[in-house]
Amino acid sequence: MEIRFIKEPELVDPVLVASWPGIGNIGLIAVDALRRTMHAEEIACIEPVDFFYPNKVIIRDGELVDMEFPTSGFYYQRTDKRDVILFLGEEQPAEGGRIYAEGGKAYAMANLVLDVAQKFGCRRIYTSGAAVAPIHHTAKSRVWAVPNSQRLLDEIKHYDNTVLMSDIEGRGGQGNITGLNGLLLGAARRRGIDAICIMGEIPVYLQGFPFPYPKGSKVVLEVLTSALGIRADLETINQLAEQSERELSALYERLPQEIREQLDRLKQATVAAQESTGGITEEDKKKILEDIDKFFKRGGREEQH
Amino acid sequence: MSAEPSFRIYEKPNLDRPALITGWIEDACGLGASSIDYLIRKLGFREFAEIMPEGFFPMAGVVVADDVAQFPDSKFYVSDEHDLVIFKSNTPRTDWHRFLNAVLDVAQKDCGVKQIYAVGAMISYTAHTMPRLLVSIVNSSEMKEMLEPFGVMGNTDYETPPGQKPTLNSYLLWTAKKRGIPAVNLWVPVPYYLVSLDDPRARKRLLDFFNVRFSLGIDLRDLDAEVMEQNGKIGQLFQKSPEIEGYVRKLETGEGLETEESEKLAREIDEFLKK
Repeated sequence: MEIRFIKEPELVDPVLVASWPGIGNIGLIAVDALRRTMHAEEIACIEPVDFFYPNKVIIRDGELVDMEFPTSGFYYQRTDKRDVILFLGEEQPAEGGRIYAEGGKAYAMANLVLDVAQKFGCRRIYTSGAAVAPIHHTAKSRVWAVPNSQRLLDEIKHYDNTVLMSDIEGRGGQGNITGLNGLLLGAARRRGIDAICIMGEIPVYLQGFPFPYPKGSKVVLEVLTSALGIRADLETINQLAEQSERELSALYERLPQEIREQLDRLKQATVAAQESTGGITEEDKKKILEDIDKFFKRGGREEQH
Repeated sequence: MSAEPSFRIYEKPNLDRPALITGWIEDACGLGASSIDYLIRKLGFREFAEIMPEGFFPMAGVVVADDVAQFPDSKFYVSDEHDLVIFKSNTPRTDWHRFLNAVLDVAQKDCGVKQIYAVGAMISYTAHTMPRLLVSIVNSSEMKEMLEPFGVMGNTDYETPPGQKPTLNSYLLWTAKKRGIPAVNLWVPVPYYLVSLDDPRARKRLLDFFNVRFSLGIDLRDLDAEVMEQNGKIGQLFQKSPEIEGYVRKLETGEGLETEESEKLAREIDEFLKK
Protein backbone atom coordinates (compact mmCIF):
# COMPACT_ATOMS: atom_id res chain seq x y z
CA MET A 1 0.00 0.00 0.00
CA GLU A 2 1.72 3.07 -1.22
CA ILE A 3 1.41 6.81 -1.51
CA ARG A 4 2.87 8.37 -4.63
CA PHE A 5 4.09 11.92 -4.10
CA ILE A 6 4.02 14.26 -7.08
CA LYS A 7 5.47 17.25 -5.26
CA GLU A 8 6.37 18.00 -1.66
CA PRO A 9 5.74 21.69 -0.97
CA GLU A 10 6.61 23.31 2.37
CA LEU A 11 3.25 24.02 3.98
CA VAL A 12 2.58 25.99 7.14
CA ASP A 13 0.15 24.45 9.62
CA PRO A 14 -2.15 23.16 6.86
CA VAL A 15 -5.68 21.86 7.37
CA LEU A 16 -6.77 18.68 5.58
CA VAL A 17 -10.31 18.41 4.21
CA ALA A 18 -11.25 14.89 3.09
CA SER A 19 -14.23 13.38 1.41
CA TRP A 20 -15.44 10.14 -0.15
CA PRO A 21 -18.67 9.35 -2.01
CA GLY A 22 -21.78 8.86 0.08
CA ILE A 23 -25.48 9.69 0.16
CA GLY A 24 -26.20 12.46 -2.35
CA ASN A 25 -22.43 12.81 -2.76
CA ILE A 26 -22.81 15.81 -0.51
CA GLY A 27 -19.31 15.92 0.91
CA LEU A 28 -17.54 14.95 -2.29
CA ILE A 29 -19.27 17.66 -4.33
CA ALA A 30 -18.47 20.27 -1.66
CA VAL A 31 -14.77 19.37 -1.46
CA ASP A 32 -14.46 19.08 -5.23
CA ALA A 33 -16.02 22.55 -5.55
CA LEU A 34 -13.41 23.77 -3.08
CA ARG A 35 -10.66 22.14 -5.16
CA ARG A 36 -11.88 23.84 -8.31
CA THR A 37 -12.46 27.24 -6.82
CA MET A 38 -9.08 27.23 -5.05
CA HIS A 39 -7.28 25.93 -8.18
CA ALA A 40 -5.68 23.35 -5.90
CA GLU A 41 -2.80 21.34 -7.36
CA GLU A 42 -2.32 17.61 -6.98
CA ILE A 43 0.50 16.66 -4.62
CA ALA A 44 0.00 12.96 -4.03
CA CYS A 45 -2.23 9.97 -4.60
CA ILE A 46 -2.81 6.62 -2.97
CA GLU A 47 -1.91 3.74 -5.28
CA PRO A 48 -5.27 2.13 -6.02
CA VAL A 49 -4.48 -1.51 -6.76
CA ASP A 50 -4.57 -2.75 -3.17
CA PHE A 51 -7.92 -1.08 -2.56
CA PHE A 52 -10.02 -1.12 -5.71
CA TYR A 53 -11.19 -3.17 -8.63
CA PRO A 54 -10.46 -1.31 -11.90
CA ASN A 55 -13.29 0.78 -13.34
CA LYS A 56 -12.20 0.93 -16.97
CA VAL A 57 -10.28 -1.05 -19.56
CA ILE A 58 -9.10 0.58 -22.77
CA ILE A 59 -8.67 -1.70 -25.81
CA ARG A 60 -7.45 -0.48 -29.18
CA ASP A 61 -7.30 -2.70 -32.25
CA GLY A 62 -7.49 -5.82 -30.13
CA GLU A 63 -4.75 -4.80 -27.71
CA LEU A 64 -5.27 -3.86 -24.07
CA VAL A 65 -3.70 -0.43 -23.77
CA ASP A 66 -4.44 0.42 -20.15
CA MET A 67 -6.74 0.08 -17.17
CA GLU A 68 -8.03 2.84 -14.95
CA PHE A 69 -8.78 2.63 -11.24
CA PRO A 70 -10.77 4.84 -8.87
CA THR A 71 -8.55 7.73 -7.81
CA SER A 72 -7.66 8.86 -4.27
CA GLY A 73 -5.88 12.17 -4.68
CA PHE A 74 -4.40 14.88 -2.48
CA TYR A 75 -4.40 18.53 -3.62
CA TYR A 76 -3.01 21.66 -2.00
CA GLN A 77 -3.26 25.42 -2.13
CA ARG A 78 -1.78 28.21 -0.08
CA THR A 79 -4.16 31.01 0.92
CA ASP A 80 -3.69 34.29 2.80
CA LYS A 81 -5.24 32.79 5.88
CA ARG A 82 -3.93 29.20 5.81
CA ASP A 83 -2.60 26.38 3.71
CA VAL A 84 -5.11 23.74 2.74
CA ILE A 85 -4.80 20.11 1.63
CA LEU A 86 -7.84 18.50 0.03
CA PHE A 87 -8.34 14.77 -0.31
CA LEU A 88 -10.91 13.36 -2.73
CA GLY A 89 -11.60 9.63 -2.86
CA GLU A 90 -13.49 8.55 -5.96
CA GLU A 91 -14.65 5.34 -4.25
CA GLN A 92 -14.68 3.88 -0.77
CA PRO A 93 -12.63 0.67 -0.50
CA ALA A 94 -15.59 -1.59 0.20
CA GLU A 95 -15.26 -5.29 0.94
CA GLY A 96 -17.83 -7.96 0.17
CA GLY A 97 -19.96 -5.79 -2.10
CA ARG A 98 -20.73 -3.15 0.53
CA ILE A 99 -21.13 0.47 -0.52
CA TYR A 100 -19.30 1.96 2.43
CA ALA A 101 -15.80 1.12 3.53
CA GLU A 102 -15.49 -1.28 6.41
CA GLY A 103 -12.77 -3.51 7.79
CA GLY A 104 -9.03 -3.72 7.28
CA LYS A 105 -8.79 -1.94 3.96
CA ALA A 106 -10.90 0.98 5.11
CA TYR A 107 -8.73 1.42 8.19
CA ALA A 108 -5.58 1.11 6.07
CA MET A 109 -6.82 3.85 3.75
CA ALA A 110 -7.75 6.12 6.67
CA ASN A 111 -4.22 5.69 8.02
CA LEU A 112 -2.63 6.47 4.65
CA VAL A 113 -4.61 9.71 4.52
CA LEU A 114 -3.40 10.52 8.04
CA ASP A 115 0.20 9.67 7.06
CA VAL A 116 0.04 12.34 4.35
CA ALA A 117 -1.67 14.79 6.70
CA GLN A 118 1.07 14.35 9.29
CA LYS A 119 3.87 14.46 6.74
CA PHE A 120 2.76 17.98 5.84
CA GLY A 121 2.21 18.97 9.47
CA CYS A 122 -1.61 18.98 9.61
CA ARG A 123 -3.06 19.36 13.07
CA ARG A 124 -6.68 19.70 12.01
CA ILE A 125 -8.79 17.53 9.71
CA TYR A 126 -12.30 17.95 8.36
CA THR A 127 -14.31 15.20 6.72
CA SER A 128 -17.64 15.81 5.04
CA GLY A 129 -20.72 13.83 4.20
CA ALA A 130 -24.49 13.67 4.42
CA ALA A 131 -26.95 13.75 7.32
CA VAL A 132 -30.25 12.07 6.51
CA ALA A 133 -32.91 14.28 8.08
CA PRO A 134 -36.71 14.62 8.15
CA ILE A 135 -36.64 17.81 6.10
CA HIS A 136 -38.35 18.99 2.94
CA HIS A 137 -36.30 19.60 -0.20
CA THR A 138 -37.41 23.26 -0.34
CA ALA A 139 -36.02 23.88 3.14
CA LYS A 140 -32.47 25.06 3.73
CA SER A 141 -30.31 22.18 4.89
CA ARG A 142 -28.55 22.53 8.18
CA VAL A 143 -25.08 21.19 8.90
CA TRP A 144 -24.51 18.52 11.51
CA ALA A 145 -21.03 18.57 12.99
CA VAL A 146 -19.34 15.80 14.95
CA PRO A 147 -15.87 16.33 16.44
CA ASN A 148 -13.50 13.64 17.66
CA SER A 149 -12.71 15.53 20.83
CA GLN A 150 -14.71 17.22 23.57
CA ARG A 151 -12.60 20.37 23.36
CA LEU A 152 -13.83 21.10 19.81
CA LEU A 153 -17.47 21.43 20.86
CA ASP A 154 -17.26 25.11 21.78
CA GLU A 155 -15.66 25.98 18.46
CA ILE A 156 -18.42 24.18 16.54
CA LYS A 157 -21.09 26.11 18.43
CA HIS A 158 -19.84 29.25 16.69
CA TYR A 159 -20.28 27.78 13.18
CA ASP A 160 -23.27 29.22 11.29
CA ASN A 161 -26.25 27.00 10.49
CA THR A 162 -24.62 24.12 12.37
CA VAL A 163 -25.95 21.77 15.00
CA LEU A 164 -24.41 19.16 17.24
CA MET A 165 -25.95 15.71 17.63
CA SER A 166 -27.37 16.78 20.98
CA ASP A 167 -29.23 19.65 19.26
CA ILE A 168 -31.15 17.22 17.07
CA GLU A 169 -34.49 16.23 18.44
CA GLY A 170 -34.67 12.66 19.68
CA ARG A 171 -30.99 11.87 19.24
CA GLY A 172 -29.63 12.75 22.66
CA GLY A 173 -26.19 13.32 21.21
CA GLN A 174 -26.06 9.79 19.75
CA GLY A 175 -25.59 8.66 16.15
CA ASN A 176 -23.15 7.08 13.76
CA ILE A 177 -21.18 8.15 10.69
CA THR A 178 -20.87 5.33 8.20
CA GLY A 179 -17.79 4.67 6.09
CA LEU A 180 -14.54 6.55 5.76
CA ASN A 181 -15.99 10.00 6.41
CA GLY A 182 -16.58 8.69 9.93
CA LEU A 183 -13.71 6.24 10.25
CA LEU A 184 -11.12 8.94 9.58
CA LEU A 185 -12.38 10.79 12.66
CA GLY A 186 -11.68 7.76 14.82
CA ALA A 187 -8.30 7.02 13.27
CA ALA A 188 -7.30 10.68 13.75
CA ARG A 189 -8.39 10.53 17.38
CA ARG A 190 -6.04 7.58 17.93
CA ARG A 191 -3.19 9.75 16.65
CA GLY A 192 -4.23 12.76 18.71
CA ILE A 193 -5.24 14.82 15.67
CA ASP A 194 -8.31 17.06 15.94
CA ALA A 195 -10.97 16.21 13.36
CA ILE A 196 -14.52 17.32 12.67
CA CYS A 197 -17.06 15.71 10.33
CA ILE A 198 -19.31 18.26 8.61
CA MET A 199 -22.54 16.80 7.23
CA GLY A 200 -25.13 18.55 5.07
CA GLU A 201 -28.74 17.54 5.55
CA ILE A 202 -30.51 15.59 2.81
CA PRO A 203 -34.28 14.89 2.93
CA VAL A 204 -34.95 11.40 4.21
CA TYR A 205 -37.03 10.57 1.12
CA LEU A 206 -34.08 11.31 -1.21
CA GLN A 207 -31.48 9.18 0.57
CA GLY A 208 -31.99 6.16 -1.68
CA PHE A 209 -31.84 8.08 -4.94
CA PRO A 210 -28.67 7.80 -7.01
CA PHE A 211 -28.40 11.51 -7.76
CA PRO A 212 -26.50 14.28 -5.99
CA TYR A 213 -28.02 16.77 -3.57
CA PRO A 214 -26.04 20.02 -4.11
CA LYS A 215 -28.20 21.95 -1.62
CA GLY A 216 -26.57 19.83 1.07
CA SER A 217 -23.13 20.36 -0.49
CA LYS A 218 -23.66 24.12 -0.54
CA VAL A 219 -24.16 24.41 3.23
CA VAL A 220 -21.17 22.14 3.86
CA LEU A 221 -19.07 24.40 1.65
CA GLU A 222 -20.31 27.50 3.46
CA VAL A 223 -19.32 26.07 6.84
CA LEU A 224 -15.97 24.78 5.58
CA THR A 225 -14.92 28.07 3.95
CA SER A 226 -15.97 29.99 7.04
CA ALA A 227 -14.13 27.60 9.37
CA LEU A 228 -11.01 27.72 7.21
CA GLY A 229 -11.26 31.48 6.85
CA ILE A 230 -10.96 31.29 3.09
CA ARG A 231 -12.96 32.92 0.33
CA ALA A 232 -14.48 30.67 -2.27
CA ASP A 233 -16.55 31.34 -5.35
CA LEU A 234 -19.90 29.75 -4.55
CA GLU A 235 -21.53 30.71 -7.85
CA THR A 236 -21.27 27.26 -9.45
CA ILE A 237 -22.58 25.38 -6.45
CA ASN A 238 -25.39 27.92 -6.06
CA GLN A 239 -26.40 27.25 -9.65
CA LEU A 240 -26.24 23.50 -9.11
CA ALA A 241 -28.37 23.81 -5.97
CA GLU A 242 -30.98 25.93 -7.78
CA GLN A 243 -31.09 23.53 -10.73
CA SER A 244 -31.46 20.56 -8.38
CA GLU A 245 -34.35 22.24 -6.57
CA ARG A 246 -36.10 22.98 -9.89
CA GLU A 247 -35.71 19.33 -10.95
CA LEU A 248 -36.94 18.04 -7.61
CA SER A 249 -39.92 20.39 -7.75
CA ALA A 250 -40.79 19.07 -11.22
CA LEU A 251 -40.57 15.51 -9.88
CA TYR A 252 -42.66 16.57 -6.88
CA GLU A 253 -45.45 17.79 -9.16
CA ARG A 254 -45.68 14.32 -10.69
CA LEU A 255 -46.16 12.64 -7.32
CA PRO A 256 -49.64 11.49 -6.31
CA GLN A 257 -51.65 14.05 -4.36
CA GLU A 258 -51.58 11.89 -1.22
CA ILE A 259 -47.78 11.84 -1.14
CA ARG A 260 -47.48 15.55 -1.90
CA GLU A 261 -49.70 16.21 1.08
CA GLN A 262 -47.46 14.06 3.26
CA LEU A 263 -44.36 15.89 2.04
CA ASP A 264 -46.06 19.25 2.66
CA ARG A 265 -46.64 18.19 6.24
CA LEU A 266 -42.94 17.41 6.43
CA LYS A 267 -42.26 20.91 5.14
CA GLN A 268 -44.35 22.38 7.92
CA ALA A 269 -42.55 20.13 10.38
CA THR A 270 -39.18 21.39 9.15
CA VAL A 271 -40.17 25.03 9.54
CA ALA A 272 -41.71 24.38 12.93
CA ALA A 273 -38.62 22.55 14.15
CA GLN A 274 -36.24 25.20 12.89
CA GLU A 275 -38.33 28.00 14.38
CA SER A 276 -38.87 25.97 17.56
CA THR A 277 -42.57 26.71 17.42
CA GLY A 278 -43.72 23.13 17.65
CA GLY A 279 -46.84 22.57 15.54
CA ILE A 280 -46.35 18.92 14.71
CA THR A 281 -46.06 15.99 17.03
CA GLU A 282 -43.42 13.29 16.99
CA GLU A 283 -46.18 10.84 16.17
CA ASP A 284 -47.18 12.93 13.12
CA LYS A 285 -43.59 13.04 11.94
CA LYS A 286 -43.19 9.30 12.34
CA LYS A 287 -46.39 8.69 10.36
CA ILE A 288 -45.24 11.01 7.55
CA LEU A 289 -41.91 9.24 7.24
CA GLU A 290 -43.53 5.82 7.30
CA ASP A 291 -45.96 6.81 4.53
CA ILE A 292 -43.19 8.30 2.39
CA ASP A 293 -41.03 5.27 2.93
CA LYS A 294 -43.87 2.96 1.93
CA PHE A 295 -44.51 5.00 -1.21
CA PHE A 296 -40.92 4.83 -2.39
CA LYS A 297 -40.66 1.14 -1.49
CA ARG A 298 -43.61 0.56 -3.81
CA GLY A 299 -41.46 2.07 -6.57
CA GLY A 300 -43.32 5.36 -6.45
CA ARG A 301 -46.70 3.79 -7.29
CA GLU A 302 -49.90 4.68 -5.50
CA GLU A 303 -51.17 1.98 -3.17
CA GLN A 304 -53.76 -0.33 -4.70
CA HIS A 305 -56.74 -1.12 -2.51
CA MET B 1 -2.22 -6.98 2.80
CA SER B 2 -1.26 -10.25 4.45
CA ALA B 3 2.39 -11.31 4.78
CA GLU B 4 1.37 -14.99 4.68
CA PRO B 5 2.04 -16.83 1.40
CA SER B 6 -1.10 -16.84 -0.73
CA PHE B 7 -0.40 -20.18 -2.39
CA ARG B 8 0.79 -23.70 -1.69
CA ILE B 9 2.86 -25.78 -4.14
CA TYR B 10 2.76 -29.58 -3.67
CA GLU B 11 5.41 -30.50 -6.22
CA LYS B 12 7.76 -28.59 -8.46
CA PRO B 13 6.75 -29.21 -12.08
CA ASN B 14 9.35 -30.08 -14.69
CA LEU B 15 8.68 -27.73 -17.61
CA ASP B 16 10.56 -26.11 -20.46
CA ARG B 17 8.85 -22.92 -21.77
CA PRO B 18 5.28 -23.59 -20.73
CA ALA B 19 2.09 -21.70 -21.50
CA LEU B 20 -0.62 -21.14 -18.90
CA ILE B 21 -4.33 -21.59 -19.69
CA THR B 22 -6.76 -20.03 -17.21
CA GLY B 23 -10.53 -20.25 -16.80
CA TRP B 24 -13.11 -19.17 -14.22
CA ILE B 25 -15.71 -21.51 -12.80
CA GLU B 26 -18.45 -18.83 -12.89
CA ASP B 27 -18.07 -18.24 -16.64
CA ALA B 28 -21.20 -17.96 -18.84
CA CYS B 29 -22.23 -21.42 -20.14
CA GLY B 30 -19.60 -22.76 -17.72
CA LEU B 31 -17.28 -22.38 -20.72
CA GLY B 32 -14.01 -21.64 -18.94
CA ALA B 33 -14.30 -24.48 -16.44
CA SER B 34 -15.75 -27.04 -18.87
CA SER B 35 -13.05 -26.41 -21.49
CA ILE B 36 -10.34 -26.72 -18.87
CA ASP B 37 -11.91 -29.85 -17.34
CA TYR B 38 -11.93 -31.36 -20.82
CA LEU B 39 -8.20 -30.74 -21.25
CA ILE B 40 -7.43 -32.06 -17.76
CA ARG B 41 -9.40 -35.23 -18.47
CA LYS B 42 -8.13 -35.87 -22.00
CA LEU B 43 -4.48 -35.05 -21.39
CA GLY B 44 -4.11 -36.36 -17.85
CA PHE B 45 -3.10 -33.09 -16.14
CA ARG B 46 -2.29 -33.47 -12.44
CA GLU B 47 -2.91 -30.97 -9.66
CA PHE B 48 0.27 -29.44 -8.23
CA ALA B 49 -0.59 -26.14 -6.51
CA GLU B 50 -3.40 -23.97 -5.20
CA ILE B 51 -4.15 -20.42 -4.13
CA MET B 52 -5.34 -20.39 -0.52
CA PRO B 53 -8.86 -18.98 -0.14
CA GLU B 54 -8.26 -16.79 2.93
CA GLY B 55 -8.55 -13.11 2.13
CA PHE B 56 -9.97 -13.67 -1.34
CA PHE B 57 -13.31 -15.32 -0.61
CA PRO B 58 -15.85 -14.60 2.13
CA MET B 59 -15.40 -17.13 4.90
CA ALA B 60 -18.97 -16.87 6.12
CA GLY B 61 -20.34 -20.36 5.57
CA VAL B 62 -20.81 -22.35 2.38
CA VAL B 63 -23.03 -22.22 -0.67
CA VAL B 64 -25.07 -25.34 -1.35
CA ALA B 65 -25.48 -26.27 -5.02
CA ASP B 66 -27.15 -29.42 -6.33
CA ASP B 67 -27.57 -30.61 -2.73
CA VAL B 68 -23.83 -30.36 -2.00
CA ALA B 69 -21.90 -27.78 0.02
CA GLN B 70 -19.44 -25.92 -2.19
CA PHE B 71 -16.19 -24.19 -1.30
CA PRO B 72 -13.99 -21.90 -3.40
CA ASP B 73 -11.30 -23.69 -5.41
CA SER B 74 -8.27 -22.10 -7.07
CA LYS B 75 -6.06 -24.90 -8.41
CA PHE B 76 -3.13 -25.37 -10.75
CA TYR B 77 -2.65 -28.44 -12.93
CA VAL B 78 0.30 -29.45 -15.05
CA SER B 79 1.10 -31.62 -18.04
CA ASP B 80 4.88 -32.04 -18.32
CA GLU B 81 4.43 -33.89 -21.60
CA HIS B 82 2.62 -31.00 -23.28
CA ASP B 83 4.53 -28.26 -21.42
CA LEU B 84 1.26 -26.73 -20.24
CA VAL B 85 -0.03 -25.35 -16.96
CA ILE B 86 -3.72 -24.87 -16.22
CA PHE B 87 -5.33 -22.66 -13.60
CA LYS B 88 -9.01 -23.11 -12.78
CA SER B 89 -10.66 -21.05 -10.08
CA ASN B 90 -13.72 -19.49 -8.64
CA THR B 91 -13.60 -15.73 -9.15
CA PRO B 92 -12.17 -14.04 -6.04
CA ARG B 93 -14.50 -11.67 -4.24
CA THR B 94 -11.90 -9.26 -2.88
CA ASP B 95 -8.19 -8.33 -3.04
CA TRP B 96 -8.09 -9.12 -6.74
CA HIS B 97 -4.67 -7.58 -7.37
CA ARG B 98 -3.01 -9.77 -4.75
CA PHE B 99 -4.90 -12.81 -6.05
CA LEU B 100 -3.84 -12.27 -9.67
CA ASN B 101 -0.26 -11.66 -8.59
CA ALA B 102 -0.32 -14.91 -6.63
CA VAL B 103 -1.45 -16.69 -9.82
CA LEU B 104 1.36 -15.02 -11.77
CA ASP B 105 3.91 -15.76 -9.04
CA VAL B 106 3.21 -19.48 -9.34
CA ALA B 107 3.12 -19.27 -13.13
CA GLN B 108 6.20 -17.14 -13.65
CA LYS B 109 8.49 -17.96 -10.73
CA ASP B 110 7.68 -21.61 -10.12
CA CYS B 111 6.76 -22.78 -13.63
CA GLY B 112 8.59 -20.35 -15.92
CA VAL B 113 5.41 -19.62 -17.89
CA LYS B 114 6.12 -17.64 -21.07
CA GLN B 115 2.57 -17.03 -22.37
CA ILE B 116 -0.91 -16.88 -20.87
CA TYR B 117 -4.23 -17.81 -22.47
CA ALA B 118 -7.28 -16.71 -20.46
CA VAL B 119 -10.52 -18.19 -21.78
CA GLY B 120 -14.07 -16.99 -21.37
CA ALA B 121 -17.52 -16.68 -22.87
CA MET B 122 -19.01 -13.44 -24.13
CA ILE B 123 -22.79 -13.20 -24.05
CA SER B 124 -24.08 -12.44 -27.53
CA TYR B 125 -27.29 -12.09 -29.53
CA THR B 126 -26.37 -14.99 -31.77
CA ALA B 127 -28.17 -18.25 -32.53
CA HIS B 128 -26.90 -21.62 -31.31
CA THR B 129 -26.95 -22.85 -34.93
CA MET B 130 -24.35 -20.29 -36.04
CA PRO B 131 -20.59 -20.96 -36.10
CA ARG B 132 -18.75 -19.77 -32.99
CA LEU B 133 -16.18 -17.02 -33.43
CA LEU B 134 -13.00 -16.70 -31.41
CA VAL B 135 -12.15 -13.14 -30.38
CA SER B 136 -8.78 -12.17 -28.94
CA ILE B 137 -7.64 -9.29 -26.77
CA VAL B 138 -3.88 -9.27 -26.33
CA ASN B 139 -1.56 -7.37 -24.01
CA SER B 140 1.40 -7.14 -26.40
CA SER B 141 2.15 -6.90 -30.11
CA GLU B 142 4.24 -10.07 -29.73
CA MET B 143 1.12 -12.02 -28.75
CA LYS B 144 -0.87 -10.46 -31.57
CA GLU B 145 1.69 -11.57 -34.14
CA MET B 146 1.76 -15.08 -32.70
CA LEU B 147 -2.03 -15.39 -33.09
CA GLU B 148 -2.15 -14.26 -36.71
CA PRO B 149 -2.05 -17.77 -38.30
CA PHE B 150 -4.90 -19.07 -36.13
CA GLY B 151 -7.92 -17.25 -37.59
CA VAL B 152 -8.73 -15.37 -34.41
CA MET B 153 -10.56 -12.03 -34.60
CA GLY B 154 -8.29 -9.43 -33.06
CA ASN B 155 -9.32 -5.91 -33.97
CA THR B 156 -11.65 -4.93 -31.13
CA ASP B 157 -11.89 -1.30 -29.97
CA TYR B 158 -13.52 -1.00 -26.55
CA GLU B 159 -13.73 1.14 -23.43
CA THR B 160 -15.71 0.07 -20.37
CA PRO B 161 -18.93 2.13 -20.29
CA PRO B 162 -19.60 4.22 -17.16
CA GLY B 163 -21.22 2.20 -14.39
CA GLN B 164 -19.77 -1.11 -15.59
CA LYS B 165 -16.56 -2.85 -14.55
CA PRO B 166 -13.89 -4.60 -16.65
CA THR B 167 -13.77 -8.40 -16.60
CA LEU B 168 -11.37 -10.26 -14.32
CA ASN B 169 -9.72 -11.64 -17.47
CA SER B 170 -8.92 -8.06 -18.54
CA TYR B 171 -7.48 -7.42 -15.08
CA LEU B 172 -5.34 -10.57 -15.42
CA LEU B 173 -4.14 -9.40 -18.84
CA TRP B 174 -3.18 -6.00 -17.44
CA THR B 175 -1.39 -7.53 -14.44
CA ALA B 176 0.54 -9.86 -16.77
CA LYS B 177 1.44 -6.89 -18.98
CA LYS B 178 2.88 -5.10 -15.95
CA ARG B 179 5.11 -8.15 -15.39
CA GLY B 180 6.10 -8.43 -19.04
CA ILE B 181 4.28 -11.71 -19.68
CA PRO B 182 2.57 -11.89 -23.11
CA ALA B 183 -1.05 -12.85 -22.62
CA VAL B 184 -4.31 -13.11 -24.52
CA ASN B 185 -7.96 -13.26 -23.58
CA LEU B 186 -9.79 -15.67 -25.85
CA TRP B 187 -13.50 -14.91 -25.91
CA VAL B 188 -16.15 -17.05 -27.56
CA PRO B 189 -19.45 -15.22 -28.14
CA VAL B 190 -22.22 -17.55 -26.88
CA PRO B 191 -25.99 -17.35 -27.46
CA TYR B 192 -27.53 -15.42 -24.58
CA TYR B 193 -30.21 -18.06 -24.12
CA LEU B 194 -27.60 -20.72 -23.28
CA VAL B 195 -25.90 -18.68 -20.57
CA SER B 196 -27.05 -20.85 -17.66
CA LEU B 197 -26.76 -24.04 -19.74
CA ASP B 198 -23.94 -25.57 -21.74
CA ASP B 199 -22.52 -24.59 -25.12
CA PRO B 200 -20.53 -27.53 -26.52
CA ARG B 201 -20.07 -25.72 -29.83
CA ALA B 202 -18.28 -22.86 -28.05
CA ARG B 203 -16.20 -25.38 -26.11
CA LYS B 204 -15.22 -27.08 -29.36
CA ARG B 205 -14.16 -23.74 -30.87
CA LEU B 206 -11.82 -23.05 -27.97
CA LEU B 207 -10.43 -26.58 -27.85
CA ASP B 208 -9.91 -26.59 -31.61
CA PHE B 209 -7.69 -23.58 -31.14
CA PHE B 210 -5.64 -25.17 -28.35
CA ASN B 211 -5.44 -28.45 -30.27
CA VAL B 212 -3.78 -26.69 -33.19
CA ARG B 213 -1.79 -24.11 -31.22
CA PHE B 214 -0.14 -26.71 -28.97
CA SER B 215 -0.32 -29.75 -31.29
CA LEU B 216 -2.25 -31.65 -28.64
CA GLY B 217 -3.67 -34.31 -30.96
CA ILE B 218 -6.97 -34.55 -29.10
CA ASP B 219 -9.85 -36.29 -30.87
CA LEU B 220 -12.69 -33.78 -30.46
CA ARG B 221 -15.40 -35.88 -32.14
CA ASP B 222 -17.13 -36.46 -28.83
CA LEU B 223 -17.81 -32.72 -28.77
CA ASP B 224 -19.47 -32.97 -32.21
CA ALA B 225 -21.76 -35.56 -30.68
CA GLU B 226 -22.60 -33.19 -27.81
CA VAL B 227 -23.37 -30.39 -30.28
CA MET B 228 -25.66 -32.71 -32.27
CA GLU B 229 -27.41 -33.87 -29.11
CA GLN B 230 -28.10 -30.29 -27.96
CA ASN B 231 -29.27 -29.26 -31.44
CA GLY B 232 -31.55 -32.30 -31.50
CA LYS B 233 -33.15 -31.36 -28.17
CA ILE B 234 -33.70 -27.76 -29.25
CA GLY B 235 -35.11 -29.15 -32.51
CA GLN B 236 -37.70 -31.04 -30.46
CA LEU B 237 -38.72 -27.76 -28.86
CA PHE B 238 -39.04 -26.21 -32.34
CA GLN B 239 -41.46 -29.02 -33.26
CA LYS B 240 -43.62 -28.12 -30.29
CA SER B 241 -43.26 -24.37 -30.66
CA PRO B 242 -42.77 -22.85 -34.14
CA GLU B 243 -42.81 -19.46 -32.43
CA ILE B 244 -39.53 -20.27 -30.61
CA GLU B 245 -38.03 -21.56 -33.86
CA GLY B 246 -39.05 -18.28 -35.50
CA TYR B 247 -37.14 -16.31 -32.87
CA VAL B 248 -33.98 -18.37 -33.48
CA ARG B 249 -34.34 -17.89 -37.25
CA LYS B 250 -34.55 -14.15 -36.67
CA LEU B 251 -31.29 -14.27 -34.72
CA GLU B 252 -29.69 -16.28 -37.53
CA THR B 253 -30.48 -13.53 -40.01
CA GLY B 254 -29.31 -10.80 -37.66
CA GLU B 255 -32.85 -9.54 -37.12
CA GLY B 256 -33.37 -8.24 -33.60
CA LEU B 257 -35.92 -9.59 -31.14
CA GLU B 258 -38.34 -7.58 -29.05
CA THR B 259 -37.59 -7.72 -25.32
CA GLU B 260 -40.58 -9.95 -24.70
CA GLU B 261 -39.54 -12.30 -27.52
CA SER B 262 -35.94 -12.58 -26.33
CA GLU B 263 -37.07 -13.24 -22.76
CA LYS B 264 -39.49 -15.92 -23.92
CA LEU B 265 -36.83 -17.62 -26.05
CA ALA B 266 -34.39 -17.75 -23.13
CA ARG B 267 -37.06 -18.96 -20.70
CA GLU B 268 -38.45 -21.72 -22.95
CA ILE B 269 -35.06 -23.08 -24.01
CA ASP B 270 -33.81 -23.02 -20.44
CA GLU B 271 -36.88 -24.86 -19.14
CA PHE B 272 -36.87 -27.38 -21.98
CA LEU B 273 -33.17 -28.28 -21.79
CA LYS B 274 -33.21 -28.54 -18.00
CA LYS B 275 -36.05 -31.11 -18.06
